[in-house]
Amino acid sequence: MVSDTAASRGPAAEPGSGGSGRSSGGGAAGLLVRNWAGFFLLFMVLLFSFTGRNFLSVVNFQNVLYLQTVPFLLAAAETFVIITGGLDLSIGFVMGLASVSAAALMHVFLGMGLPAPWSIFFGSIAAILVSMIPGLINGIVITRFKVPPFIATMGMWGIANGVALKICGGFPIAGLPDRLSKLGNGYLLYVLPGSFVSFLDKPQWFPDARIRELWRLVPFGVIFVLVALAVLSFVLRRGRFGRHTYAIGGSMDAALRSGIAVDRHLVRIYVLSAFLAGLAGVFNVFQTGVGNYTTFSAMYELFAVAAVVIGGASLFGGKGTLWRSALGVLVLAFLENGLDISGVPPFYRYIAVGVLLVVAVTIDKLFPDLN
Amino acid sequence: MATTSQAESTGAPGSGGRGLVSYLASRWVVIFLVLETVFFCLKAPGFADLNSAQILLFYGTQVFLLAVGELFVIVTGGIDLSVGYILGFASIISIKLIVWLMGLGLSPLLAIVAGLLLTLVIGLVPGLINGALVAYLKVPPFIATFSMLGVCHGVSELIINGVYAMGLPQLAANIGSGRLLYIVPGGPTVFFNRPNVARGTKIYDIVPNIVIVAVIVIGIFAFVLARTRFGRHVYAIGGNMDAAVRSGIPVKRRLLQVYALSSFLASLAGIAYAFMYVSGKADAGASILLDSIAAVMIGGASMFGGSGTVIRTMVGALIIAVLEQGLRMSGTPTFNIYILVGAILILAVIMERYMPQHR
Repeated sequence: MVSDTAASRGPAAEPGSGGSGRSSGGGAAGLLVRNWAGFFLLFMVLLFSFTGRNFLSVVNFQNVLYLQTVPFLLAAAETFVIITGGLDLSIGFVMGLASVSAAALMHVFLGMGLPAPWSIFFGSIAAILVSMIPGLINGIVITRFKVPPFIATMGMWGIANGVALKICGGFPIAGLPDRLSKLGNGYLLYVLPGSFVSFLDKPQWFPDARIRELWRLVPFGVIFVLVALAVLSFVLRRGRFGRHTYAIGGSMDAALRSGIAVDRHLVRIYVLSAFLAGLAGVFNVFQTGVGNYTTFSAMYELFAVAAVVIGGASLFGGKGTLWRSALGVLVLAFLENGLDISGVPPFYRYIAVGVLLVVAVTIDKLFPDLN
Repeated sequence: MATTSQAESTGAPGSGGRGLVSYLASRWVVIFLVLETVFFCLKAPGFADLNSAQILLFYGTQVFLLAVGELFVIVTGGIDLSVGYILGFASIISIKLIVWLMGLGLSPLLAIVAGLLLTLVIGLVPGLINGALVAYLKVPPFIATFSMLGVCHGVSELIINGVYAMGLPQLAANIGSGRLLYIVPGGPTVFFNRPNVARGTKIYDIVPNIVIVAVIVIGIFAFVLARTRFGRHVYAIGGNMDAAVRSGIPVKRRLLQVYALSSFLASLAGIAYAFMYVSGKADAGASILLDSIAAVMIGGASMFGGSGTVIRTMVGALIIAVLEQGLRMSGTPTFNIYILVGAILILAVIMERYMPQHR
């Protein structure tokens, strides 16, 4: 009930809706519909392989994955919240808050004379802790004061944005140690075919000017995301935490009656969501080397919701998995990358996302017994 | 029998006392607005001034118009995330159309009138699509209108190709930043055109044109929501969808109309933007989506539908507008506005839960 039924209550509450398509279970058609996002991704990859030069290459695929580090984490955050039937609109700006806090705190620690590695370490940890505060407030406001998640997190949207802008004064925070972006942009393997293989960093003697001849494989960001997703997915699928999450989204009443501490669990969910947004923000500092605030037109939270919904989760709660949300992120990412490489103006991407979302929800409506 | 009458007699004075408290409490939004205004009148130099008040309304126009559209949608139990980008879309379309029509040889006035009407018609399209998705395809409003946000953003950027839409005739700028009345003390009173007077002469400019248009439009929609069958249906749909369907209300058609209405008002706000700033851009309304929804919620509407009035929404919008202008004039960094609007939004919804209800 706490869930964002407000937004979705309207027409869905009408009697007789969603009764169609009961028989979508088996057969090839069922398989196709159930995994439409995956098939669509496959179709896009095939299409763009013909239309885009260099689309089908290890370098490009790596780049796509690497650039999606932040969206992956935000989509993971949104997945947990949406499964409970809630919504977290604040993650985009919480991420910005974490990013500027991390940069500002690193400067503070550096100013205190701490060596760079420790400043980076403590700054990151402290920023992630800071970013959990909005989540805690979200959770308390939603459970104790029964404010709809949409409104509570939208309020936090404004607050986090304001605080982030206050911290950074309206400009990105630069001047951080170089090794920061080296860490964020590093690769696991550096290979010069027929010559050498080097782990973690390119050999010192190899000139920067020839860096393009190197095969740089497996960005740290991708490893980071894979580990994070694996851990979170484990949490969600096995263990009590995940079971309770699905139970609350499936039926709040039933969850209450079966003795689940719903309020406390929801607070944890919103803290987790803010924590992941904070992680994304800190990683953003490592990637870009500066602390960035989030702009209004970035709409990270909405794209995260889009990815989760394309991944097959329902805004009514109780449905969705992390890997499917990650698939949703990939669909959006390859759409952007493929259109870009094929020379289509980037603005078509926004239109395509809109159309995809409607398709996703319509499929969910027509075949309610999927998953 | 005796006990009940006794209970009534003892209850009466008590409830009378509580009556005043609860009356005031149920109007805490208005009291908040008054206190806020008094606070800034004392704190911000120049805030308590006729011109300052007019500027406040002038720059608030977009939020006022969007909030009314958003109110209709929220009363049905939905949400419209696309209004900000429909505003941007309309600001671009209106300028492109007017420039195109003038290129065909129309006089500026004719081009403006025709371009304006065309924009309002085109501006209905996003809303009709939203409404069709929500009412007929049963897409949750959040998703349907977010999709439309993306589509409007994309189409707008395609039209302007990444640069501002520009080239409005001077007449449009005059309308956009003009006032209804210009009073020269001891001299003539002129309508619409700023009289040519010596530099430094005091002129009272009364009521920006844009504000007059906004007030008339908002008045009309306040009447529509409060007094017409359409308005009753909107409340009924939000109050209880099942009951609305059973009592024979054409729910689907009404939802379609409500989203079209929201889109219409956003287009009007976009045209006002184009005339005020003499340029159009895709993200013109991106940052005021929060303000428009916050205005409705501060005005006491429920996210779940069925309640809310235009007047209370306007009080909510004024709270935000006064806050913004007050902070700006008292020299506080503008970042604070985001924090305060967010905090007031959350507080307002909590207050609504614990305060006695209207009526």
